[in-house]
Amino acid sequence: MDLAIIQDLLMTGFLRGGLYASMAVGLALVFGVMNICHFAHGEYYVLGAYCAYFAFVTLGLNPILSLLVASVLSFLAGAISEKLLFYPLRKRSKGEWIMNAFLLTAGLSVVLQNLFRVFFGMKYRGITQFWKTTFHVLGMSLPADRIIAFFIAMVAIAALWLFLKKTRIGRAIRAVSQDENGAKLVGINLDRIQTLTFALGSMLAGLGGASMLSLSPAYPYAGNKPLISSWFVVTIVGLGNVPGAIVGGFIVGIFESVSFFFLGSGWQDVASLTLLILLLLFKPTGLFGTQIKSVWE
Amino acid sequence: MQTIISSLNKIGKILQRAIGSLNTIGFSTPFIVFIILIACAPLYIKNQYMLRLLVVSLYYGILAMAFDFTGGFINAVNFGYAGFVGLGSYTSALLVVYTGINPWLGLIIAMGVTASVGFLTGLLTLPLRGIYVSLMSWFVGLTLMALASALVEVTRGARGLVVSPIDESATILTHLYILLTLMMVIYFILRLIINSHIGLAFKAIGQNYDAACASGVNPTKYKLFNFTLSCACAGLLGGYYAHFVGIVTPDVMDTGHTMEVMALSYIGGSGSLLGGVFAAFLLLPIFDSLKQLMEYRLIIYGMLLILVMIFYPVGLNGLYQKFLQFIKRKKETKL
Amino acid sequence: MLEIENLQAGYDRLQVLWDVSMHIREGEFVALIGANGAGKTTTLRAIAGLLTPQGGCVRFLGENITGYPAHRICQAGISFITEELNLFQAMSVEENLLLGAYLCRNQNLIKTNLDKVFSFFPILAERRKQLAGTLSGGERRMLALGRGLMSNPRLLVVDEPSLGLAPIIVLTVFKTLQELHAQGVTLLLVEQNVTNTLQITDRAYLLERGKITLAASSKELLENEYLKETYLGKR
Ligand SMILES: Nc1ncnc2c1ncn2[C@@H]1O[C@H](COP(=O)(O)OP(=O)(O)OP(=O)(O)O)[C@@H](O)[C@H]1O
Ligand SMILES: [Mg+2]
Repeated sequence: MDLAIIQDLLMTGFLRGGLYASMAVGLALVFGVMNICHFAHGEYYVLGAYCAYFAFVTLGLNPILSLLVASVLSFLAGAISEKLLFYPLRKRSKGEWIMNAFLLTAGLSVVLQNLFRVFFGMKYRGITQFWKTTFHVLGMSLPADRIIAFFIAMVAIAALWLFLKKTRIGRAIRAVSQDENGAKLVGINLDRIQTLTFALGSMLAGLGGASMLSLSPAYPYAGNKPLISSWFVVTIVGLGNVPGAIVGGFIVGIFESVSFFFLGSGWQDVASLTLLILLLLFKPTGLFGTQIKSVWE
Repeated sequence: MQTIISSLNKIGKILQRAIGSLNTIGFSTPFIVFIILIACAPLYIKNQYMLRLLVVSLYYGILAMAFDFTGGFINAVNFGYAGFVGLGSYTSALLVVYTGINPWLGLIIAMGVTASVGFLTGLLTLPLRGIYVSLMSWFVGLTLMALASALVEVTRGARGLVVSPIDESATILTHLYILLTLMMVIYFILRLIINSHIGLAFKAIGQNYDAACASGVNPTKYKLFNFTLSCACAGLLGGYYAHFVGIVTPDVMDTGHTMEVMALSYIGGSGSLLGGVFAAFLLLPIFDSLKQLMEYRLIIYGMLLILVMIFYPVGLNGLYQKFLQFIKRKKETKL
Repeated sequence: MLEIENLQAGYDRLQVLWDVSMHIREGEFVALIGANGAGKTTTLRAIAGLLTPQGGCVRFLGENITGYPAHRICQAGISFITEELNLFQAMSVEENLLLGAYLCRNQNLIKTNLDKVFSFFPILAERRKQLAGTLSGGERRMLALGRGLMSNPRLLVVDEPSLGLAPIIVLTVFKTLQELHAQGVTLLLVEQNVTNTLQITDRAYLLERGKITLAASSKELLENEYLKETYLGKR
């Protein structure tokens, strides 16, 4: 087989993996801190894409500003939905929080998807590109958007990591994920941290959707594919495993582009899902599952 | 005159005893009334379209019931439910289209195939807990859907596979009575299981997994049994529905359909079996009568699910139980 | 400083505390003693806001803090060191301590407090970078105490600090508590080790089946016949 093709495949997969990694990090964060299996993550991705589209095309803002608008709005949307839905659920639910919260996100996902459909119609809203250049990497010419979207994802992950490691609030977020009572007793306001965490997760998704706008247009159901893939990532590395999610994102991205090349689009889904099922069959704790959260047996 | 009254009395007593014994097997009085109402529907509903609506409501109601058997009892939501329903549809449809066997036989095989896949999924999720079971079954459902779309030569993909009706002479009334019977049979079986010691084990597993293991319940066996049975129902109904509608597309396996069934079962009240049936008969006609609502159908389902989860987790069944208590208290104060 | 009046508390439908009333004055060292399951931990949880009281009133520095969430109570100046410690296992000793000063924005003050804690527990300074989850049992207790001190609490509430520790370490812990008291920290201590506790505290309350049955100065209680028989194990 041609070396160029292999190189091309790996590159495509790698770049796509960046998106999955950032989405999966959001999922892992939300699960780690709030114990929510976030099923509506894809909808915040779509929201980000719509925001970027309207900011870039309708308002004519420059690309950076459009992305900023998209991330701020998806951050806000995440914060609002947490306050409106998960906060009351947390105050009222007795036991079985994980399952109830999961069902809530499932309901939220349906509502948001169909709200998008009602508001924006079944129309694809895409752009040809944010940036009009192409980059030459390893003898391949790639549109700038691809590379930049990848870098945005990486920078977002790095920024999140720094935030969690180095700041007071970031430390508080990690504290909540490790011991809720301990966190309360040192004076951390759990409600605020939970809202912030959900908002941050949503922002990661929204930023992902916005930066990928030229590659996959905004569309009410556009969130399904990234949702499935990022859940795929999170499941193979183990829930709540943030560093694992990054590695997993690249693995899944490359696997998808390779299987797409050999099998075509229809069978690629079958292949990834089969792989996932086999993985869970033989290694049910996830690829790097050492710190297993209590939901595992 | 005397004899008429006394014989009426006798009939009354027999009826009372019959209802009493029906009650003991889980057929509560409102449910019996409901069954009779549906059975007599052709007497007061002549409109074909309305009858069809009843059939569709029944179909969704039974699905919600079978869904609740897993979600409401062992607390493992089968998030790939639509995939299993679709598997039943495709199995029966493909068999009938390609081998020309009797649709009834196709249905039985569809049920078997879906049950086996359900069994395998259960096997796969054995070492996992609640939420992982949901995720895994979701992935299985997605795989089934992806397969149905990918096997274009066989399933005709999104263009849809045309399926012959279950019986050439079947009218809408035939479907109504078949589904009504199916509902009673399935409910009877599920209720029988729930009321037996197996049902106790289910509840133990659903409420406190570790405690259940510690007290000697083997969750594996029960989980598998539960999952398989619920999937068998999905396959049977899916197969039936394919013949009823006459066309199958991969769309039937979409997660959105799982959501509909799930919403019905939770609105009806998780762990009540019948709640989903009543929810279906309440909501589907409303959606249908307000055509402009159709577009917002899923939004309303989703919102109702959210509201129920947050504010009233006991659902319609909880309302009904409250009503019963109210009546009881009224009676007591009268005495 | 802390006044509790007719506190009722419990879990779901199970009521554990019945009309518990007690008070602590500024600078006092008070003990709460009682048998297993008497409701000592429950009392402390209700004070610290981990449990919402079903009735009664808790006042701290004149402010009614009944039913406040835990973080507000921490803000008011009460630091609660739980039986199970609630450390952040996957974080370093230092990060745990810094989180103890979460509400404090003054970097200099945090630095002073950190030094103070390290002078109390030199072992923590040595283990600065080690993860809390990998510390020994005794080190963990010290870390929990240190974390509780990081917020400069007006009142320190400690639940069974000697649990599972070797006698020699228990002595260190008690010494530390005494030292803290000498420095002016007000303390509420729950202990099984009644004799030792009564020797270092000013006053004590006896809690039996969710009710306060005795309240007196520690000296008196050491001589109390009933207590001697049932809790001190002397005849
Ligand atoms: N989280 C809980 N849920 C339900 N009941 C609880 C809970 N915690 C404690 N209890 C019950 O409340 C009662 C009092 O418990 P508590 O922990 O306050 O006792 P204690 O005095 O601290 O005992 P010990 O000396 O053993 O620590 C016990 O009967 C216990 O079973
Ligand atoms: Mg205790």
